[in-house]
Amino acid sequence: MKPEMNDEKLTAYVLGELEEEGRRAVEEALETDEIARRTVAELRTTVKLAEEALAPAEPPALTDAQREEIERRAQAAPARKPAWVWWGAAAAALLVIVAIGAAGGIAVLGKAKQAEHRSFDSDQKFFSPIFLDETASMETDVATRPEGANVVLGGARKASLARGRHSVDLLKQIDGRPGWTDVPDKSDWAGHDTEAYDHIVDNPFLAVAQNPLSTFSIDVDTASYSNVRRFLSQESMPPKDSVRIEEMVNYFSYDYAPPKGPDPFSVHVEVAQSPWSPGHRLARIGLKGREVEASARPPSNLVFLLDVSGSMTPPSKLGLLKKALKMLVGQLDERDRIAIAVYAGASGLVLPSTSCDDREAILDALSRLEAGGSTNGGEGIELAYETATKNFITGGVNRVILATDGDFNVGTTSQGDLQRLIEKKAETGVFLTVLGFGMGNLKDATLEKLADKGNGNYAYIDSLAEARKVLVEEMGGTLVTIAKDVKIQVEFNPERVHAFRLIGYENRLLAAEDFNDDTKDAGEIGAGHTVTALYEIVPAGQDVDLPGVDPLKYQKPMGKTGAAASGELFTLKLRYKMPDGDTSKLIERPVTDIGESWAEASNDFRFAAAVAGFGMLLRDSSFKGTATYASILALAEKALGEDPRGYRKELLGLVSSAKKLSGK
Amino acid sequence: MGEETQSRAEWVSGALERYEQPLIRYACRYTGDMELARDVVQDTFLKLCKADRAKIERGLAGWLYTVCRNRALDVRKKEGRMGLIKDAQAVADPDESARPSSVAARRQEHAMVLEALESLPGDQQEAFRLKFQDHLTYREIGQVMGKSLGTVSRLLTKALESIRGQLRVGMDLAQETQS
Repeated sequence: MKPEMNDEKLTAYVLGELEEEGRRAVEEALETDEIARRTVAELRTTVKLAEEALAPAEPPALTDAQREEIERRAQAAPARKPAWVWWGAAAAALLVIVAIGAAGGIAVLGKAKQAEHRSFDSDQKFFSPIFLDETASMETDVATRPEGANVVLGGARKASLARGRHSVDLLKQIDGRPGWTDVPDKSDWAGHDTEAYDHIVDNPFLAVAQNPLSTFSIDVDTASYSNVRRFLSQESMPPKDSVRIEEMVNYFSYDYAPPKGPDPFSVHVEVAQSPWSPGHRLARIGLKGREVEASARPPSNLVFLLDVSGSMTPPSKLGLLKKALKMLVGQLDERDRIAIAVYAGASGLVLPSTSCDDREAILDALSRLEAGGSTNGGEGIELAYETATKNFITGGVNRVILATDGDFNVGTTSQGDLQRLIEKKAETGVFLTVLGFGMGNLKDATLEKLADKGNGNYAYIDSLAEARKVLVEEMGGTLVTIAKDVKIQVEFNPERVHAFRLIGYENRLLAAEDFNDDTKDAGEIGAGHTVTALYEIVPAGQDVDLPGVDPLKYQKPMGKTGAAASGELFTLKLRYKMPDGDTSKLIERPVTDIGESWAEASNDFRFAAAVAGFGMLLRDSSFKGTATYASILALAEKALGEDPRGYRKELLGLVSSAKKLSGK
Repeated sequence: MGEETQSRAEWVSGALERYEQPLIRYACRYTGDMELARDVVQDTFLKLCKADRAKIERGLAGWLYTVCRNRALDVRKKEGRMGLIKDAQAVADPDESARPSSVAARRQEHAMVLEALESLPGDQQEAFRLKFQDHLTYREIGQVMGKSLGTVSRLLTKALESIRGQLRVGMDLAQETQS
């Protein structure tokens, strides 16, 4: 059924308030509906004009004294004083009543009738910052107000438990027909403003008899962890689909020995007891990329492609972005070149490729950036790659660094088009780094896919500290790719393994035949990067509930070879290409389980397993077994190791927050 | 305990960095005076210093705008001031970065938008400014204005529709629609 278009829906579309599915529905309609297309184009022009017209000539600011006063008071404020909350709320409510009473006669606030209702609703509102239910909004009939008030609180509480409900209500209003309620959770109106995540289904257990091979691409992205951290530090549970377990595990670096031989990375496998399903085994595959010393770092040709559209205006986005990039510039020297391209309503080169000798010019160009207009990501990407190609350094680091909240809302907008564009651009030998910024409008799914298609990595920058981790401490890994298209294939031995499950990497799975196919793209590994993958293994002879198929009528199951009696657990195979190579190289290694218990496992093993367990809990995975937030906390606490920068310790805080928030 | 206090200071300073400018602009719409607007915003942040973080963190933008508006209305009442700063004055300054040939035309269009905006009903103006000047989401606008998501959606659609209509009278958008 073709959803009907109306101005309200198109407006919501243009303003980026629609979720993935609704957006797609609109985009589909736009392809055939000329009037809707015109409307959207006009709306965009109007929005752009409005944003420009309302942009201030000179940004106002507090006086230094006022700022200092606030900062002093913030320092002095008591951490928590519950008594104040109620007084504060009551005082605030009182203020509303007085203020609105005064405003009743003022045109800006509209009719006095509204003001009268408002005084009633407002005091409820202060107890919960969550959006009010439509049924209890100001349009409520005066006679039914007492019930209305109950609905307000009830509705708000419900909303906090099951976000996204309003979305359905709202769509119904826009559409004026109930058909939209059929749309499941991931409907047009996101529970979290307009953030967009792709749905993830946990990898299931697979029986080795039917599925002896497991094939996937490595992934060094870390964005999911910092995004999860952002939610938890705002005291809200992250949406399940924002939790990608492999990115959480890979956020941390592990103490794997660097490679000694000719291969650009080393491989470390460890097998021990699973902490959440004691009869099962956990196998950890760890890769460690060769370290590149700062002095031996190849020269870089970097193109910053920066989103300066209206949605980037808040200092938490553009301000943080500028600071983050200035940090990176501080790490570079006369060997390196930087160009800066921006995109918004129009895209342009702000700074042609400039040697980092002239740091002043680069920093100056960064300082002068301002946000405004809507986003045409497609054009900007073209321009950035063109600039990178023109200044290509053979044997050097050639990379586009895209910084955005991912809101590509003008120009080449369909996800498919963008991905194809990036995929084509990746053939030029230019790599991609995607830095996600901001909140409330983050298009996580889009950004992850772009990085995936563009031979790239994706990090979410939620703070200056995170910027330092990604762009300074791990600069080598972020910028210098040491191997590309790294694929892993594991062949399990049916003599030892009944079933297995790859934990995470759901959107990195490859078909078995893709492993030897050098035209199939896969993940990159950077200098000094560690990559970790975990398998949960059900040993042979143990039962696990598997969705079985009937025995075949015309074929017999394949027999075992002599190698099955070797006692090996599995054979690990890796393929990779050198950064500028086209042919892959194979690494093959048999792995035997020596029966390590949990207590005997290394710190790194136990910590990685704890992070994975935490991810499963956040995803409310059916495979979490006996894991609880409390048990994960205990496991992680004992596996901190040296943790010189305190990243592992930070995880403990997040697990505690999740425990408190979930009430489990 | 010390850690908690520290993180609160960081939290406030993060909020300050993000919302200082937009809030002063917002308050100025009510006070009509930059000095008063600054005072209002300082008060707003001082309240934030004492607020229960857990309760308001998720709706921070909405909380700040709501408190700021209430404070601004309070101040305006006390000062007996009326009259809003006309955005037209702000726009009168030429935008240095725009290309000279298009500056005049752009400015005329901006003036038309502002004029059209002035003619809208109060609640539409409010929603419009919160969206395009302050870049709040529907949800946050609803929180500040005490309206439902559906109402915000309707207000903005209507506002954009009227402004679009008035712009269309003034210029031919047809060329821009094909691109």
